[in-house]
Amino acid sequence: MDRTQPKGLPTRVPVGTMGDGGTTYSGVNPNAVWLNSRGIWLSYVIAVTILHLVLLSIPFLNVAQAWTLTNVVHNIGNYIFLHMLKGTPWETNWDQGKSRLLTHWEQIDFGEQFTTTRKFLFLAPVILFILASFYTKYDPLHFIINLSTMLLVLIPKLPQLHGVRIFGINKY
Amino acid sequence: MAVEDVMVEPWYMMQMVQAFLQAPVYHIVIEVLLIVWIIGLLFSKSYRIQERVQLTEKEKEDLLAEWKPEPLVPDTPEDHPALHPRVVSGKAGLKVVVDGKECLNLATLNFLGMLGNKRIEKAANTALYKYGVGSCGPRGFYGTVDVHLDLEDKLAKYTRTEEAILYAYGFATIASAIPAYSKRGDIVFCDEGACFAIQKGLLASRSKVVYFKHNDMEDLERLLKEQAKDDKKNPKKAAVTRRFVLVEGIYMNYGDIVPLPKLVELKYKYKVRIFIEESASFGVLGDNGRGVTEHFGVPIEDIDLISANMEMSLASIGGFCCGDSFVIDHQRLSGQGYCFSASLPPMLSVAASEALRIMEEKPGIFEELRTRCQWLHAKLSSIPGLKVCGEPISPIMHLQLAAPSSRAEDTKKLETMCNECMNQGVALTVARYLEQEEHLVPPPSIRVAVNVELTEDDIDHATAVITNVAKMVL
Repeated sequence: MDRTQPKGLPTRVPVGTMGDGGTTYSGVNPNAVWLNSRGIWLSYVIAVTILHLVLLSIPFLNVAQAWTLTNVVHNIGNYIFLHMLKGTPWETNWDQGKSRLLTHWEQIDFGEQFTTTRKFLFLAPVILFILASFYTKYDPLHFIINLSTMLLVLIPKLPQLHGVRIFGINKY
Repeated sequence: MAVEDVMVEPWYMMQMVQAFLQAPVYHIVIEVLLIVWIIGLLFSKSYRIQERVQLTEKEKEDLLAEWKPEPLVPDTPEDHPALHPRVVSGKAGLKVVVDGKECLNLATLNFLGMLGNKRIEKAANTALYKYGVGSCGPRGFYGTVDVHLDLEDKLAKYTRTEEAILYAYGFATIASAIPAYSKRGDIVFCDEGACFAIQKGLLASRSKVVYFKHNDMEDLERLLKEQAKDDKKNPKKAAVTRRFVLVEGIYMNYGDIVPLPKLVELKYKYKVRIFIEESASFGVLGDNGRGVTEHFGVPIEDIDLISANMEMSLASIGGFCCGDSFVIDHQRLSGQGYCFSASLPPMLSVAASEALRIMEEKPGIFEELRTRCQWLHAKLSSIPGLKVCGEPISPIMHLQLAAPSSRAEDTKKLETMCNECMNQGVALTVARYLEQEEHLVPPPSIRVAVNVELTEDDIDHATAVITNVAKMVL
């Protein structure tokens, strides 16, 4: 990660880095670059909050259920958009079909691991899990649901699973 | 009732804290582990997965010791052609003045004699006064002038396709068109003898390239069958893989014609798309010069993309692709040469339009050209010590040595022949390649280009000169 770049600049584009078998990145991946902006992180937090408030306002759901549902909806959405959908709607010069087999998560920051954006996306489900655990009063059933959906989105984010398709699921 | 009680019961902070204090041990353990892990993660440094390979000190030393710097400017051999440039003055029409000596021109790819045509010159001149020289921008960025649209229209009408797209540089036409469609993970079946522009396009496409033997449809079918077998094993992958076959109408480096009917048959059998590079066959083959499709009577709709440069028959600059609108339109945002290069200078576009008009007015010109090709082919075939490569009706012929030895020696012999022919008034050139970069370097040859303006006398004269020189050198 480039720590010398001022905060004001929107994106970090590794120009001239020879990370990927001799490919020089001369462009950006418009599909992933927007996730790097701080405004998007704020919007993410606001969106989850709104989701939670909407669920809380449903009359027959109690607080515990609302929290677990928030967590589950968030995690499933996170899984679909970051780990299931592949490719990019904007195929740029840089791409030349490169993103066709990569999930959105794998496209972030040209595949660089543990960048700030990735850390943020790691952190979000963990914080939600801790909050949900607290508000469900550590109920075992809620715990199982929350933990399993959290693992669903945390495990595919690990560097060890970068580009790995278990049993070839979702490979092409 | 009990359920309702739970629903309306307020969640006091005290209760929450109590719940936390009474939380099961396993839960606390998991949360603590999670927090420790996430804090560790937040402080870990970012890295690229590919960079994880760490070299040991010894490996580094070895690599450094292995490295031998190359000189910035390597020694050039005395007889390097670049050290002895020949100077052409004036236009390279039927006659060309090389180093002050007028020669019969068998070196310029000016098949229809459009180079130096008075009508074209006049039209281009008029356009020069109207539009100036350059177009000052790419097509999508203030670089489109009415004459570009007009030429695209004309080309589409002439080739009987839905749409044509203009490029400002002939080489870049096919080299941009290929990567616009074929991406990583796609497969291109390409003829081994394909020209350099195609090879560069394939490189830029990052696709998997499978070369089949030059003009060998059986070899192509064998490879397609193999591919079909692989596809059956992995249908999910096959569903997202595009397959292309890339051929030339008349091969620049060999002068032979692609067996198109067989290829079209294979296309429908194995579901591949055909791209044809028609630079040497547009304006040459077919009753109206529409190229190899017209020559074989294959409907042009069966071909997915046709690309040709306008630097040969049309004697202008640039190139074009033509085909169905939905295919061609894709290039207007994805063809690198179209998007990122200044458009064709308007006057050259007008020159190409005028040349196209001449082609329309004189459809007999193509038959005339082919007759001359056949004459010259027959005459050259009779020269002892040389062998003519290519079809009789191809305007590009490659004269190879009948008894080849080493590449360097042959090239030297052929170069001596060319120089000697030049002294005797026939301009010829050795076919040149970037030998390290070519996929398959064709055997050394003299590339003879036929011009429709050649008379029988010219052909006899040229043949006599080449025969003499061949006798002398070989």
